[in-house]
Amino acid sequence: MGLDLDLAYIIRVLPLLLKGAVTTVELAVLAIIFGTLIGLVIALAKIAPYPLLNILGRIYTWVFRGIPLLVQLIFIYYALPAVGIEFTSFQAAVIGMSLCGGAYIAEIIRSGILSIDKGQMEAALSLGMTYAQAMRRVIIPQTYRRLIPPMGNEFISLTKDTALVSSIAMTELLRQAQLRAAADFKPMEMYFAAAVLYLVLTTFFTLVFSKLESKLALID
Amino acid sequence: MIHVSDLDKSFGQLHVLNNISLDIAPGEVIVIIGPSGSGKSTLLRCLNYLEVPDSGSIAIDGEILTLHTQDITRIRSKIGMVFQRFNLFPHMTVLENVIEGPLTVKKTARAEAVKKGEALLEKVGLADKRAARPSQLSGGQQQRVAIARALAMEPAIMLFDEPTSALDPELVGEVLVVMKALAKEGMTMVVVTHEMGFAREVADRVLFIDEGQILEEGSPEEFFRAPKNERAQAFLSKIL
Repeated sequence: MGLDLDLAYIIRVLPLLLKGAVTTVELAVLAIIFGTLIGLVIALAKIAPYPLLNILGRIYTWVFRGIPLLVQLIFIYYALPAVGIEFTSFQAAVIGMSLCGGAYIAEIIRSGILSIDKGQMEAALSLGMTYAQAMRRVIIPQTYRRLIPPMGNEFISLTKDTALVSSIAMTELLRQAQLRAAADFKPMEMYFAAAVLYLVLTTFFTLVFSKLESKLALID
Repeated sequence: MIHVSDLDKSFGQLHVLNNISLDIAPGEVIVIIGPSGSGKSTLLRCLNYLEVPDSGSIAIDGEILTLHTQDITRIRSKIGMVFQRFNLFPHMTVLENVIEGPLTVKKTARAEAVKKGEALLEKVGLADKRAARPSQLSGGQQQRVAIARALAMEPAIMLFDEPTSALDPELVGEVLVVMKALAKEGMTMVVVTHEMGFAREVADRVLFIDEGQILEEGSPEEFFRAPKNERAQAFLSKIL
């Protein structure tokens, strides 16, 4: 037994793994950007004073939060081509992760908006603002600082969830490790290195977000 | 200028406004008093439709209020409102708070809005606080900024919802001074307050409201000297 890692081997394949890690970060960043846009729209739909929008928002969350991300990814990549909708694995990965991330981010944004004192909306409306102006100028800007911690969590979740897209032929970090591990019969080295790289990524992002949080705290 | 007829409003089982009718003339200063929970704040909040009545109607300058977005935002922009808890925008500076309405609602040019905003801050005695955040101000200062913010829209009517109730006693005076000056300029004002001194000195008419009804109304002299209504008598004996 004994754990003797072939360090020289790890160093040799590291560039390959790093390439996978870059794809992982790209995916996570795109997913958080599109997910945030989707999340904002869904959050606004859910709290808007229009019942129809409320229902549409709830249906969105119900579907995309209720179906496992892995199933959504496989559906987008392997099932949609059957009805003529084809995506590259990268596109499918970004779409799937954004849609799913959007459902969670919508809840984050919604609770952020609901945490703002209702006197703020009243003051904005009493000046003659429309509901949309009040949201844009008064309510949403006040949520930014409160959104940073949960959005940081969500971003780290998304970073980890990118491992799921290895199942749709996307060669990100985990897939890269799988391929090499099988080819070289070095599962311990490859998966150990991959695990450490994930940890490095999530640690890095954790630090970035806590920095951002303290910076915004200073402004207020 | 304000014409209220047969206003009714309930929150669930609670009948807050019970068939209220009221006329307010231009330049008139109306003070509404009454026990807490009497419906006085709800009545005030109906006047700019922050609260929508169940039935009855409100007309401002002959125009009947509805929830139609374009109409209601235009009418609200002519009615300033000052809240008990100030409700300043905490993410903006004092000056930004004051010019926000003109910039966003009236699309006033920034330079012009700033000039008027500075003049208003001068008027409420806070010109030196233009760059401060609301959180750096005392309650009395915040409320004066809130008054300046409402005035920046150049409203024809000002509504005050217990403007001094959240203030420490020593800060009440500075807010009342601003309000008195405004009344003197001929602003049409509707003020819900517990400040009987203000009512006596500034009001053209005092309304006593309880259980959603106007039980007594009259000039402050009549009202404070010899209220006819029993509940008004009881209320005054407790408060004075």
